[in-house]
Amino acid sequence: MELSLRGHTEPATAVSTPDESAALAAADLVPDPDGVDDSAQRLTRLRRIAGRQEFWLDWTAPIGLVFLLILFGSIAPGFLSAVNINGVLADAAIPIVMATGTTFVIASAGIDLSLASTVALCSALIGMTAQHGADTAEICLVGVGTGLIVGLVNGTVIGWIRIPDFIVTLGSLGIAEGLALLVSDGKPVVINNQLFAYLATRSVWLLRYEVLLALAVALVLHVILAWTRSGVHLLAAGGNRQATKALGISNARMKLLAYAVSGLGAGLAAVMLTAYVGSTQPSPDTDSLLLAIAAVVLGGANLFGGRARIFGTLIGAILLTTLQDGLTFLGISAYYQPILIGVIVVGSAVAMRTQ
Amino acid sequence: MTTLAHRPPASGGQTILEASAIEKRFGNVRALRGASLSIRAATVTAIVGDNGAGKSTLIKCMSGVHAPDRGQLSVDGQPVSFSSSDEARKAGIETVYQDLALVDQLTVAQNLFLNREQVRSFGPFRFLNRRGMRRQAQQLLSDLGIHVPSVTARVRDLSGGQRQGVAISRAVHWAKRVIILDEPTAALGVKETRQVESTIADLGRGGAAVVMISHNIDQVMRLASQVWVMRAGRVVGGLSTATASHEDIVALITGANAGDVS
Repeated sequence: MELSLRGHTEPATAVSTPDESAALAAADLVPDPDGVDDSAQRLTRLRRIAGRQEFWLDWTAPIGLVFLLILFGSIAPGFLSAVNINGVLADAAIPIVMATGTTFVIASAGIDLSLASTVALCSALIGMTAQHGADTAEICLVGVGTGLIVGLVNGTVIGWIRIPDFIVTLGSLGIAEGLALLVSDGKPVVINNQLFAYLATRSVWLLRYEVLLALAVALVLHVILAWTRSGVHLLAAGGNRQATKALGISNARMKLLAYAVSGLGAGLAAVMLTAYVGSTQPSPDTDSLLLAIAAVVLGGANLFGGRARIFGTLIGAILLTTLQDGLTFLGISAYYQPILIGVIVVGSAVAMRTQ
Repeated sequence: MTTLAHRPPASGGQTILEASAIEKRFGNVRALRGASLSIRAATVTAIVGDNGAGKSTLIKCMSGVHAPDRGQLSVDGQPVSFSSSDEARKAGIETVYQDLALVDQLTVAQNLFLNREQVRSFGPFRFLNRRGMRRQAQQLLSDLGIHVPSVTARVRDLSGGQRQGVAISRAVHWAKRVIILDEPTAALGVKETRQVESTIADLGRGGAAVVMISHNIDQVMRLASQVWVMRAGRVVGGLSTATASHEDIVALITGANAGDVS
């Protein structure tokens, strides 16, 4: 195995072609052959390890998901029933939207701590708008628009005034939370809305509208991140600020884009949450922030920026929801879940720092 | 300034870039005190000098990073002034800095096309032509004889020489007039230095105007045909490696010949 791997990678390193050896000899500066062999082997070994890390970054979430499904399925076969799988996917819809949105922020080497508070603020304002007799379109617009505004404010302060991401979003976490409680007086508002009920309960074939909406969001964000100039520039800015600046890319604009997308995700998640629960949720659910960031990291993103994949985040969010629902299904205390997720986040950050 | 600094170079193509009497001050430090030189096509030109002589400041003025306080830059005989490195790039001047300006987490192809990506339009949307860029990246690297495992490899996984190769390729691909290299082999081992040197020599032969800062006089003798020597913020001499010796250059750098002192 080891030998065949080496055989595969060695030609690719192209350490010494005959032409170059000739040039070296002509230049009378040939390093001793043993030295060349050593460095070549060292390079090959390094590259093999790097290849392994790439592999794990890309495949941790899918492999983990399959493992969990097999594990829960073998303990409790009922877990793999179509109805239950459908329930897990429906539970995953909101985490998917929050996590894929905030993937843009992680890609830019930032972190959006205000995510869950923004959802609460959007939800509170949805309640207020509904109480004033607004129609469905207006309610949705207020929810998504509020998220976008919070994101734009975060992005502007971080990008142009250049204050570290965690300080700004820690501040907006408090501001959004306080505003949400002020506006709602801390009380949920029951929303009786036919379209919302459809969104949360009706399905096409097996997939609920809510799940389809989450998948559509993931698809759009994937296209932006992987197939547009903005996406590449965002990853570049997250990977190396100096380099992107030297090449004429505005880091501030990339931060604005990242937080705008994260805010939009929070706004949409608030609309979906309000539809799912049937009432507004004006107090922030901190676990949802932790879960969203853990999903991004499990999906192969680098917490220090420059690397992120929407597909990975999507699978990461489904994986963590499966874990949550599986523990509940087996009657294990749900309190284990935030502990596990916390370990995942810190553990993968340590793994990336020490790689 | 000495008359030597204005002696017309012995060989090579037309003058493309000219700096005359460039001055640049940082607070109380006069980094450049009237530096003048010219860069010609199809020539590898070296800028040498001790630390603090003003080499880096001068190339940063030529590549738009610094705006000179006084003096004039001209490209193809036309006076220019760059307010950003973007403007210098638009004028066809590409610079490879020591820190390379590569993004480790991106692939070789993504780095080669960073901020100059090719797109295809579908209605109002524009999507990256990823396959096209990969193909061109492959072509570019093989034209320059630069070996990387793959254009989809991440730059993080490359060796120092390969990274330098990618950075130079990017400059070559986009430079319409001048390629500036700031100590291109400073961080490289013997073997990688050889590879990068052969790339630089090929560029000069291929018609490009290559400007290179180097501390290694042997390397300068091997690669460059024209040498400008800087001392204390001025260009104190211009030599042709065809006629000048290693010792001549060192003497100019240290100011050993009293006649050269400006």
